[in-house]
Amino acid sequence: MADRPSPDFGKTVINLAALVLVLSYALPYVYLVSTSLKPPADVQQIPPSFFPGRVSLENFATVIGTAGLPNAFVNSTVVAVLTTLLSLLIAVPAAYVSALYRRRITVIFLLFALVTRMVPAVSLGVPLFQVMKTLGLLDTTLGLVLAHTSTAVPLALLLMSAFFEGVPKELEEAARMDGCTRFGAFVHIILPLMPSGLAITALFSFIASWNEFLFALLLTSQNSKTAPIVIAEFNSVYGLAWGPMTAAAVLYSLPVILVTLLLQKQIVGGLTFGAVKG
Amino acid sequence: MARIKLDRIHKVYGDRYPAIHDLSFEIEDGEFMVFVGPSGCGKSTALRMIAGLETISAGELIIGDEVVNHVDPKDRDIAMVFQSYALYPHKTVRENIAFPLRMAGVAKDEIERRVNEAARILELTPHLDRKPGKLSGGQRQRVAMGRAIVRRPRAFLMDEPLSNLDAKLRVQMRAEIVKLQRALGVTTVYVTHDQVEAMTMGDRVTVLKAGRLQQIDTPQNLYQRPANVFVAAFIGSPSMNLYQATLAGSQLTLGSQSIALPEAVFAARPGLGAYSGRSLIVGIRPEDIDDAAVTDKRDYAEISAPVTLVEALGAETMVHLALDATWVDAEDPDIAAAETMSRTAVGRFSPRTQLRAGDRARLAITPHNLHFFDPDTRESIW
Repeated sequence: MADRPSPDFGKTVINLAALVLVLSYALPYVYLVSTSLKPPADVQQIPPSFFPGRVSLENFATVIGTAGLPNAFVNSTVVAVLTTLLSLLIAVPAAYVSALYRRRITVIFLLFALVTRMVPAVSLGVPLFQVMKTLGLLDTTLGLVLAHTSTAVPLALLLMSAFFEGVPKELEEAARMDGCTRFGAFVHIILPLMPSGLAITALFSFIASWNEFLFALLLTSQNSKTAPIVIAEFNSVYGLAWGPMTAAAVLYSLPVILVTLLLQKQIVGGLTFGAVKG
Repeated sequence: MARIKLDRIHKVYGDRYPAIHDLSFEIEDGEFMVFVGPSGCGKSTALRMIAGLETISAGELIIGDEVVNHVDPKDRDIAMVFQSYALYPHKTVRENIAFPLRMAGVAKDEIERRVNEAARILELTPHLDRKPGKLSGGQRQRVAMGRAIVRRPRAFLMDEPLSNLDAKLRVQMRAEIVKLQRALGVTTVYVTHDQVEAMTMGDRVTVLKAGRLQQIDTPQNLYQRPANVFVAAFIGSPSMNLYQATLAGSQLTLGSQSIALPEAVFAARPGLGAYSGRSLIVGIRPEDIDDAAVTDKRDYAEISAPVTLVEALGAETMVHLALDATWVDAEDPDIAAAETMSRTAVGRFSPRTQLRAGDRARLAITPHNLHFFDPDTRESIW
């Protein structure tokens, strides 16, 4: 009998390929964490070492003591939470109508939402600056929330309309026959079927705002500066503070990682969306 | 409870072909009315207009004494059972059945009492705390019924509620729905494409084709006195055999053969005499043809035809016959093209028949039970 590769061999190859792929994503982050734990003197050593020779929390102590950073974290949180809530408030009902009452106009509406995702953010920066200046919203939390919402809504709209497409129209009709208005049917019957969709959309909206840099750079200066701007300022004309910068970046990444882990079940559940038929 | 009146109802989608054309009839208080017809005949559209889920393009819809054209579904006080059941998957059976009562603001104790009562009637009590996903098809169907009856609405609307069940369960649920409707006495409109359901369940049956009313009558009358070729062929299984024929005095010529129609046939259909010397469409139900060699029929006329296929079903034998008369299409879009292409007559023979494919059968036909239709209008001749 000729030797043939066992099925286990194929599995091993797939697992190795997956490991290489995961490492390609994870390595920069691992290096970021590793650098943040190096003593300040080791951060810029030549040749650089991947792992710290000695673990030190000095960079974290420096960062926590840096004026403006705790405030920037609060600003980031407030902006991201408000952006998420406002985006869901606008996008969820709009996506529902677009998905369940499909007409030519709703298809065009969704297409425009897609097109806005293709416009480079930098080309929107100047008009947004002008709009916020006119409205007196420069360097305000509200101004930044509105700017972030303008980019988060199309994403939330596209995501939620995909989730709603899996809902049989009869559910809404049954609820209307059972005594609900259209809106009542949406609130009592349709939304409770969407925990995964809402969780994923909320998470994506939150991350989009939490990570956003360009609009925050253009629209804020003192009062409502978000953490990405303050972190970038560690690298300034006064010197390269790589150690504190990486420590701040690690701290800033933790909430998103935590939220993702918490919503893991809903996110995985969301991958099978459409399976709501009773 | 209420009567439902449709008065010159039209439904047009955009600028396309009208889905419902000039529909007028009245459903009596407490009546079990069945809408039946082939795919695309408008039966579900008509039901959904009564429900308020479709707008009415023209005409008036009256429930009770109120014109409800612009009344929201929630304010019509009618319950609907959907083909897919449309149970709320995140709610338990108890919550599903209680939902319409909760929306109506009924007190908690009363909700509890009525849900338990509905569950008892529908034998759902052991399943009250389960989610619909954990139930069988028949149980889901009963939950959908429970959600409808718990409200004690003015009318029930049912849109092909048994079509997702297997054949055995369908027969059982058919009887249960009829029993329940009789017990509650609520006006019911039931949509189906299955003529057996229509015939066995309805007090009256409305036959629709391409958005137009064909006939509205009791099941027995639809069978015995069909208004036109379409109804004649649609009601009854297998379908009525339809052929072109000519009448000369009392001699009916069917292809190369003739039979004499007795005086009683002309007495029952006074209009038939006017067709002497003209062509007409003759309809023969499969149950009105038998093997002359073994038949128990009396007063039959005899013709003959080659046998093309014999299907022994035990209690009866279906025999396909190649009559040489011109075959007439009943224009039922649901009849498969292959079936219309075969163009053979079917006889429901006694199981004692010894006929085999290839034999030439002597056929016993009961002239009193023949149906006659005008070849131009395709209306029944009476």
